[in-house]
Amino acid sequence: MEVSQNMSLLHLVLQASIPVKFVMGILLAASFMSWWYIFIKLFALKRAAKDTNRFEAEFWGGADLNAVYHRVSDQPEKAGELERVFEAGFSEFLKLRRQSGASVNVIMDGTRRAMRAAYQREVDTLESHLAFLATVGSVSPYVGLFGTVWGIMLAFQSLASVAQATLAQVAPGIAEALIATAMGLFAAIPAVVAYNRYTHDLDRLSSRMESFMEEFSNILQRQVAK
Amino acid sequence: MSFALQRNDLAAAVLAAGVHGFFLMLLVIGVSWQIHDPQPIMAELWQAIPAQVKPLPPPEPPPPEPEPLPKAVPKPEMKAEPKAIPKAQPESKTADIALEKKKQEEKKKQEELAKQKQALELEKKKRQEIEKRRREEDRLMELEAEQEAARIEADKLKREQEKKLAEQKRREALKRDEEEMERRMMEETLALEASQSKAREAKAAADRRAAEIGKIVDRYKAMISDKVRGNARLPENLSGNPEVVYEVNVLPTGEITKIKLVKSSGNAAYDTAIEKAIEKSSPLPMPTDREAAAHFRELELKHKPKN
Repeated sequence: MEVSQNMSLLHLVLQASIPVKFVMGILLAASFMSWWYIFIKLFALKRAAKDTNRFEAEFWGGADLNAVYHRVSDQPEKAGELERVFEAGFSEFLKLRRQSGASVNVIMDGTRRAMRAAYQREVDTLESHLAFLATVGSVSPYVGLFGTVWGIMLAFQSLASVAQATLAQVAPGIAEALIATAMGLFAAIPAVVAYNRYTHDLDRLSSRMESFMEEFSNILQRQVAK
Repeated sequence: MSFALQRNDLAAAVLAAGVHGFFLMLLVIGVSWQIHDPQPIMAELWQAIPAQVKPLPPPEPPPPEPEPLPKAVPKPEMKAEPKAIPKAQPESKTADIALEKKKQEEKKKQEELAKQKQALELEKKKRQEIEKRRREEDRLMELEAEQEAARIEADKLKREQEKKLAEQKRREALKRDEEEMERRMMEETLALEASQSKAREAKAAADRRAAEIGKIVDRYKAMISDKVRGNARLPENLSGNPEVVYEVNVLPTGEITKIKLVKSSGNAAYDTAIEKAIEKSSPLPMPTDREAAAHFRELELKHKPKN
């Protein structure tokens, strides 16, 4: 009877065998890291969306391109993703324009390449850690299950040496083992939800950036052709 | 940019820790709720009874206290009467003596009167004081007596209640003992009945089994004699319906190990014919039931040419 008296969570966790404790530790760390990245990405994506909105409004609002370019290149750390793409493309365009004899195609190809490179870099930065969330989401249930199976194995093993098997002898072991599964699910569910949500957000953001790049090249081409 | 990112990282870490702390708290509270069913329930029932009975007696004694005052009031009126007696004496002495004498006498009388009055007053005061003291003493005594009475009564009540409680306890204990006895007796009778019915059942089962085995044995005996009859080649010179009896030893498989003539029919050819028929019948049909098969270890085969 004394077993059922002390079934508090802390007691169960402290009583667990070393492999189960190890699994619980891994899962706790994974859960903590995934929540950390979830919040980091939340802030980063929100800020990126805000910056993009602001820059698009400024750009299409008829601002002077040279002024925007100077502002962005003076303090690149304050600029958003789309602004950096714009800056990379515009600086390449100016450099190529300065060289005499470059054809329209050469200028436009160079500009587009520069913008694409900047775009890739930005998307890569935004995408960082998302793979970790995916990994946690898919793997941590299995890790938790492993801990549970191990714990139940031990619980039944200890039952083998007892003449009369009662439920009270296995119950604490199983309860303790099931905590591992619970922790695995606890780590996995938010990670999966966040991963799906962030990939979707990122897709929308990158498609916005791509369409901006196309439109901006059109504007530049018109200027060269003049 | 790097500074902003770092601040964001820190905020994210704090938020992540907050989320974990929140969930852990929920879990701990949620799980510890279910642990609050400890065992001491039986003891409380008994402790509750005396606590309820004891507080009852105190309210009864206080009412008699205000009584002593009205009793003490009438006493001073009775003691005031003696004052009137000494005043009447000086009035009877009036004679015609000289004025001076008279005056002197009057003076004297007045002085005496004054003295007497003073003495009377003194006496009165003394008496009143004594009276007062006595009254107070009386009152105190009465109070004490009443308190004593109240105390005695409370004691009595208490003792009675204790007695009642003890009685109740004793009765309950007795009742419990009786119930225990009754229960035990019931259990015993039940056990006895159970054992008896079990024995009866066992006997019935044994009877049934014996009947079953008898039936099986009969059936197999019939089968054996049919087989022997089928294998028998009766001699032609047989007349009548002679009976021959053989004792046969049989293995559990039905194989015949030994055939012994117990009672001859008188016709030697018939005897040998039946012996051969029995030999030919080996293995004999044996029942699969082991108890029934035990009846066939040593078999007495009676054979008649016609049934």
